[in-house]
Amino acid sequence: MMQYRKFLLFIIAVLALLVFLVWQYRVAAKPAIRIGVLHSLSGTMAASETPLVDAVRLAVEEANLSGGINGANIEMIVSDCRSDADYCAEQAEKLITQHKVQALFGCWTSACRKAVRPVVERHHNLLFYPLQYEGLEQSPNIIYTGAVPNQQIIPMVSWAMQQHGRRAYLIGSDYVFPRTANKIIGKLLRAGAGAIDESSVLAERYAPLGEQNFDAIAGEIAALRPDFVVNTLNGDSNLYFFRALQEAGISADAIPVFSTSIAEAELAAIGPQRVAGHYAAWNYFQSLDSIENRAFIKRFRHRFGAQRVLDDPMEAAYIGVHLWVNAQRSAGTPDASSVKIALGKQTLNAPEGIVAVDAETQHLWKPVRIGRARADGQFDIIWQSGRSVAPAPFPFFIPHAERAVMAGGSK
Amino acid sequence: MKISTRLLLLFLLVAVLPLALFSYLNLQQDEATLRIEVLERMSGLADKKALQVKTYIAERKREVQIRARDPQLMNAIRSLPQDYAAGWRKPSYVREAAQLHDYFGRYVEEYGMFYDVFLITPQGEVVYSQKREADFATNLLAGPYSETSLAQAFREVLMTLEPVISGYGHYAPSQTSALFIAAPVMVDGKFKGVFAAQLSNELFYRVATDATGLGLSGEAIFAQRDGEDVVFTTPLRYRSEAPMKLRMNPQQSSSLSMFGALSGESGAGIKPDYRGQSVAAAWRYLPELNWGMVVKMDADEVFASIARQRILMIEVVLGLMLFSGMLAYYFGRQISGPLEDMARTADEVARGGTDKRVDESAPGELGRFALAFNRMAENLQGLYGTLEQRIGERTRDLNVTIAQLHEEIIERGQIENALRDNRDLLNEAQRLGQLGSWELNLLSGKLHWSDEIYRMFELDPAHLVASYEKFLSVIHPDDREKVSQAYAQSLVDKQDYDVEHRLLMADGRIKWVRERCSSEFDGAGKPLRSVGAVQDITAHKLAEDRQRVAAVAFETHEGIMIADANANIIRVNRAFQTITGYQSEEVVGKNPRILSSGVHSQAFYAAMWQKLIHEGSWSGEILDKRKSGEIYPKWLTISTVKDGEGKVSEYVAIFSDISARKKAEEEIRNLAFYDTLTKLPNRRLLLDRMSLALSSSLRNQHYGAVMFLDMDRFKTLNDTMGHDYGDLLLVEVAQRIHYCVREVDTVARMGGDEFVILVEDIDSIAEEASQKAALIAEKIRTSLTAAYQLKDRLYHSSPSIGVCLYRGNEESVDALLKHADMAMYQAKESGRNTVRFFDPQMQYAVETRAALEADLRYAVFNGQLRLHYQIQVDDEHRALGAEVLVRWVHPTRGMVSPAQFIPVAEESSLILEVGHWVLETACRQLAAWSKSELTRHLSIAVNVSAQQFKLVDFVDRVMAVLRTFDVDASHLKLELTEGVVLNDVTDVVAKMHALKALGVRLSMDDFGTGYSSLAYLKQLPLDQLKIDQSFVRDITTDPNDAVMVQTIIGMAQNFRLDVIAEGVETEGQLAFLKRHGCRAFQGYLFGKPLPIEEFEKLLRD
Repeated sequence: MMQYRKFLLFIIAVLALLVFLVWQYRVAAKPAIRIGVLHSLSGTMAASETPLVDAVRLAVEEANLSGGINGANIEMIVSDCRSDADYCAEQAEKLITQHKVQALFGCWTSACRKAVRPVVERHHNLLFYPLQYEGLEQSPNIIYTGAVPNQQIIPMVSWAMQQHGRRAYLIGSDYVFPRTANKIIGKLLRAGAGAIDESSVLAERYAPLGEQNFDAIAGEIAALRPDFVVNTLNGDSNLYFFRALQEAGISADAIPVFSTSIAEAELAAIGPQRVAGHYAAWNYFQSLDSIENRAFIKRFRHRFGAQRVLDDPMEAAYIGVHLWVNAQRSAGTPDASSVKIALGKQTLNAPEGIVAVDAETQHLWKPVRIGRARADGQFDIIWQSGRSVAPAPFPFFIPHAERAVMAGGSK
Repeated sequence: MKISTRLLLLFLLVAVLPLALFSYLNLQQDEATLRIEVLERMSGLADKKALQVKTYIAERKREVQIRARDPQLMNAIRSLPQDYAAGWRKPSYVREAAQLHDYFGRYVEEYGMFYDVFLITPQGEVVYSQKREADFATNLLAGPYSETSLAQAFREVLMTLEPVISGYGHYAPSQTSALFIAAPVMVDGKFKGVFAAQLSNELFYRVATDATGLGLSGEAIFAQRDGEDVVFTTPLRYRSEAPMKLRMNPQQSSSLSMFGALSGESGAGIKPDYRGQSVAAAWRYLPELNWGMVVKMDADEVFASIARQRILMIEVVLGLMLFSGMLAYYFGRQISGPLEDMARTADEVARGGTDKRVDESAPGELGRFALAFNRMAENLQGLYGTLEQRIGERTRDLNVTIAQLHEEIIERGQIENALRDNRDLLNEAQRLGQLGSWELNLLSGKLHWSDEIYRMFELDPAHLVASYEKFLSVIHPDDREKVSQAYAQSLVDKQDYDVEHRLLMADGRIKWVRERCSSEFDGAGKPLRSVGAVQDITAHKLAEDRQRVAAVAFETHEGIMIADANANIIRVNRAFQTITGYQSEEVVGKNPRILSSGVHSQAFYAAMWQKLIHEGSWSGEILDKRKSGEIYPKWLTISTVKDGEGKVSEYVAIFSDISARKKAEEEIRNLAFYDTLTKLPNRRLLLDRMSLALSSSLRNQHYGAVMFLDMDRFKTLNDTMGHDYGDLLLVEVAQRIHYCVREVDTVARMGGDEFVILVEDIDSIAEEASQKAALIAEKIRTSLTAAYQLKDRLYHSSPSIGVCLYRGNEESVDALLKHADMAMYQAKESGRNTVRFFDPQMQYAVETRAALEADLRYAVFNGQLRLHYQIQVDDEHRALGAEVLVRWVHPTRGMVSPAQFIPVAEESSLILEVGHWVLETACRQLAAWSKSELTRHLSIAVNVSAQQFKLVDFVDRVMAVLRTFDVDASHLKLELTEGVVLNDVTDVVAKMHALKALGVRLSMDDFGTGYSSLAYLKQLPLDQLKIDQSFVRDITTDPNDAVMVQTIIGMAQNFRLDVIAEGVETEGQLAFLKRHGCRAFQGYLFGKPLPIEEFEKLLRD
C-alpha cells in the first residue's frame, strides 16, 4: 500500500512539473521594444510640441493593450530637445546607441529634422516626422506623416485664387520654411493655372521669428487691398499679426488670410474671435465628422482630459506610431530592412481618413482639407479632396533644376 | 480478470491512448500550421498582385509625365489651341493634328498602352483627342462631360499642378468605364494645358485579374465604394456581369473582406466571398486607384492537401495500432499462457488430479515456479498414492457392483453430453466465424436459425420465432427484391446461390452479409429443404471502402512520394511519375536524392532537414531535375509521420510542378517597360524611345546622341562585396546619371552594369552637337567618378562611355546601339574612365581588321603563305645567301602586302605562328641547299619579331628546328630590329648569347632608325649590322645620309662587325658603299625577292 502511494505521489509530482514548464513557457514575457520620442518640452517650441508626446503616448498605450508587438510591450523613452536642433541630434544619437530604440518619433521644425536626419541615416534607424513641411526632401530613414506642399499649400492657394482673385500678398516668418513655401507659391501664381489674366504677387514680406509689431504690414495690406493674404508666420507672431489686422479694420470678408501654421491649438492661443472667418489648410481638423475621428477624440480626452484640443500635428504623430506598430507586426521581425519593406505597404483607417505609405517617397497619401475658422475655436471644412492625395515632395510643375536650387535651406 | 485481459488493458492505456492522442494533436497542429501558411501565402500573393497593379499604374503615370515634358508636345500645346479656335476643320488644325496623330499612334494603336490621349486647354477645351469620340471639342468645365472622371482629373490638376490619377467611373463618350491619368503641361514656368491619357481597360483588366499562382479556383478582385455600396470594378471569374455592374451592400453581407480593404485595412483570413463561398483571402487597399483588392482561393482547394494528409495519417496510425496491438497480444500470451496453464493444473491438482504436471520449459521465474510446483505435486501424489491404495482395497469390492449399475447411466449421459457439446461447439464456431446457418423445411414451412443468426440480426431468440418474413424485414429495403429473386431463381434452376446484401438494423446501422444457400429436391424436382449460411462481412466491406478512398486521394494531380525513416522511397503515385518522368519501379527503394538538381547548396538541404526534424514539416519552392535532365521548379510540402514513440516512421512529400506558373510570371515581367531595380526604362522601352527619337530627328534635322555606359570593374565589386552592394551601386549610378541629363532624355538600363543614355535634340550643327554631347558625357563621367557611400563603406568606381551621334533615321536603332557599344569598348581599351566617340573610320578599321585577321589565321594553317628570297652578295657579286620575306597570296584578295598583314599578325598572337612557319621553311630550304655543291655555302636571314623573341623558350625552339632539319647553325642568320632588343636588356643579352652558343648568327636590322645608344650596342653579341635602305636610297644625293652611312660602316669596323647594306638599287650607290668599306649588299640591283624556283634559277645564272 505504501509503495502504491509513493508511486502515485511521484506521478503527480511529474505532472505538476510538466504543467509548470508549459506555463512558464507561455508566460515568459518578451523583452520590451523601445522607441524614442524627440520633442521639445522646454524652450520656445514646448507649447507646440508637448501635446504631440501625449498623442504618441496614447498610440503606444493602445498598441500595448492590443497585444504589443508580437507579444512584446512597447516602451517609450521621451527626450527633451530643449528647442535646440543640435541638442536634439545628440539626443537622437543617445537614444539609438545607448537605449537601443527601434525607431524615433519627433521633431517639429525642419531644422530639427535636418539635424536628426544624418543620425538616423548613419545608424539605419527610423524617424517618424509628423509636421507638414516644405517638401524637397526624401530620406530612406524618415517616414514623413505630415503634408507636403501639394497636400496643403498648393491646393490652398489654388482654391484662394479660384474663389477670391489672383492678387496675393505673402507674409511669413523669416526662415527657410516660409521662404521656400513662398517660392513655391510664387511659381504657382506665375504658372497661373486656369488663369485668363496674369496673377501676381503684390508683395512678399518677412518678419523675424517672435516679431510683435505688424502695424506697417497691416497698413500696407490695407493700402494694396490684395484679393487674399497667404500667411506662413509661425509662433506668437500670429497673435500680433491678427491683432494688427483687426486694428487696421481689415475684415475676413474683405481680405481673407490663408494660414499654413494655424491649427486648433493656435486658434485658442490667438483668440478664436480674431481669426474667425479666415482660412487654414490641413489634412485633419478636430471638427471632422467621422466615426474614426469621434472615437479618436473620445479616447484622447478619456486619457488626457475632457478639455483637450486636438489638431493636425497631433493626429500625424498618433498615426505614425500605429503605422510603425502595424509594420512591425506584419514584418514579424525587428530587422530594420524587413520593417521598412513592411512600412512601404501600410495603409490605415486614420482619424483624418484613409492614409497609405507611398513606398517610393516614404510620405503619406493624405486627404486635403481647407477650413474656415469659427468663433468657437473650431473650423468649418469648406473644401476637401474627394480622396487621399498622392504625396509629391518634389512638385512636378517646378523644373528639376530649380528644385535643386530651392532645396537646401532648413526651417 | 484474466492476466492477458489486464495486460491488454494496460497496453491500451500505456501505448494506444498516447498514440491516438498524439496523432490527434499532431493533426490539429498540422492543420493550424497549414492555415497560417496558407494565409501567409495569400498575403504574399496579395502583396505581389498589389505591386503588379501599382507598377502598371505607375509606369503609365510616368509615361504621361514624360510625354507632358516632351518638347514636341509642348510645341503642340502652344500652337494647337489657336488653330482649334480658328476652326478644327480648317487645314492648319488638320495638319497639326495629323502630326500629333502619328506621334501618339504608337502608344495608342500599336502598344495599346492607352486607349485614347487628350490635350486640354487651361480653360477646359478638349482640343485634341486621338480617337475623336464625343468628348472631342467639348469643354470639361462647362460642357456635357463636366461631371466625368476626366473632368474631375482635369480639375484636380488645376488645383495642384501635379500629375493625377482619376477615379474610375462610367465614361459616356467611350460607352465604358474609364480611368484617366492627367498631367499639367508647363511651358517656361507657365501652365499651358493638360495632357491626359485614358487607360486601356482590356490591358489593365488582364494585368489586374491575371490569376497566375492562384490555383484552380483563385482570382484577384477589385472594387471601389459608391456611397454605402461596394462596386466591383474588374471582371469576375464567377459572375458574368460586366465590370461596375455587380454591387453589394454592407448590410447584406457585412463579413465581405472587400469592406475591410476599402476602409484602408490590410489582412488575411478565411471568409465568405461574393458568392458566399468560403475562401482563403488576403485584402489590401490601393491608394492609387482608391480601390480595395482581394486575392483569394477557395478554401476547399487550399485545404485539399490537408484533407488528403488526414486520411493518410489516419490510415498509417490505424495500421500502426493494429500492428503493435498484435505484437502486445502475442507477448502477453507468452507470459500469461504458462501462468494460466499452471493455474489450471493447480486447480486440477487441488481437485485431486495429483498426477497432473505443468510444462517446465517456460523461461525465467515461471520456469522455476513450474519446477517447484511439479516437485510439490509429486510429493502430494506420493501421499495420495498410499492413502488411495488402502481405500482402494476396501472399496474395490463395493465398486464392482456399483460400477456395473452406473455404467449404463454414464454411457447414456455421455452420449447426451457429446451431443450438447457438439451443438455448443458449432455455436461457438459460428460466433467466431461470424457465420450463421439456417434450415428451411419447405414442406412444413418451418425455419430454423442458428444462434449466430439471431446475434447477427440482433434479434432475441427468446421472444421470436424464425420466419422468412422476419428475415426479409431485416434486409435493407433496397436489397429485398434482389435476395428474394436470387432464392426463387435458385429453386427454379436447382442451383446454389451466393449473394451479398445489406441488413438494416433497428437503429439505422447497416451491415453487409454474404449469403449462400443450397436446396434439396425430390425425384420429381420438388424442393424439400433449403440449407444456408450467412456471413457478416461488414468489416471487410469497410476496409475495402477505405482503401478505395485512400487510393483516390493518393492519385491526384499533385505528385506524392512516401519514404521510410531512412529516406528510402516506399511508394509514389501516378502524378509523381508524370512530373518526374521516373516510373515507380525505378525509384522505389532509392533515396530521393536522385531527383535533386544540384542547384541548391548543402546548406539549403541541411536547413530543410533541420526544419523537418524540429517542426515536423517543411514547405517551399525547390528546383529538381526530371529524368530527362530538365530542371524545373516545384512547390514541395514534406511532413513527417511519427510512431507511438515519437520516432519518425515515414516521410510524406507532396509537390506540384510550378514551371508553368514560373513561366507566366516571367512573361509578365517581360511585358514591363521599367527595370525593377533602378526604376529606369528597360531595353524594351529604350528601343521604342529611340525609334521615336529617330523619327523626331528626321523631322527637325537635329542631332541627338546615344551613349553607352559601362561601370569599370563592376564584376569585381559584385564578387568581393556581394550583390547587395552591387545593386546599391547601380541604383546610385542610375540616380547620378539622371541628375546629369534633362528630364526629356532617356536613361535606360540594358542589364548588368550597362546603361544607355539617349539625349535628343542637341543641335542642328554637327560640330556643336558633338561638343555638347561630349560635355554631357564628361559631366556624367565626372559625377560617376565621385566616391560612393554604399551602406557603411566608401567605394570608388568609374565609367567608360561610348558616344554615337545620329541625325534622321539613316541608321537603325540596332546599329546606333552597336556603334555606341563599340565606342564604349574603345574607351575601355584606352584605360577606362574615359569618353570615346564613335566614328565611321573606326568602325571600318575594326571591321576590316577583324576580317583580315580571320583570313590570316586561315592562311597560316592552310598554306597560303609563301617565302620569297632576296639575294645577298659580296663585293664581287657572288651570292652569300638570301633574306627571306613572307608573302601572302590570298585566293580572292590576291597578293596581300606584308605592311598590311604583319601589323595585324603582331596585334594578335598570329605572329608567333607566322614566325615559326618562316623559321621552319627557311631551315628546310637550308637543308635542301646543303645537298648541293652550288648552294652549300649559302646562308638565310630570317626576321624575328619582338613577340617571338620574348617567348621564354625561343632559343629552345630555334634549336629544335635546327635539329629537326639537321642544319648547320652558322648558315642561319636571325635579323633583330632595335624594337626587339630595346626591351628587357638582361633577358635579351642572355638569349642572344645562347643563340650564339648554338652557332646562329645575329644581325641588327634597320640599323640607324632607332634610338639605340652605342653603350647599349656594345653589350650585344652581334655579328652584323644592316644599313637601312632609307639611308642607302639617298646616299648619293643627301650628304647627311652619306655621313650617316660612313659612320655606321666605321662603327661596325670598330666593333669588328660585318656590315651589309640593303636597298641597293643603282651602281652609284654600290660604288659609294664599296668606297667606304662595305662588303655585302642586298637590293634590286642584284635581284628582287623571288619565289624559290626563280631564286635558284638566278643563282644558276
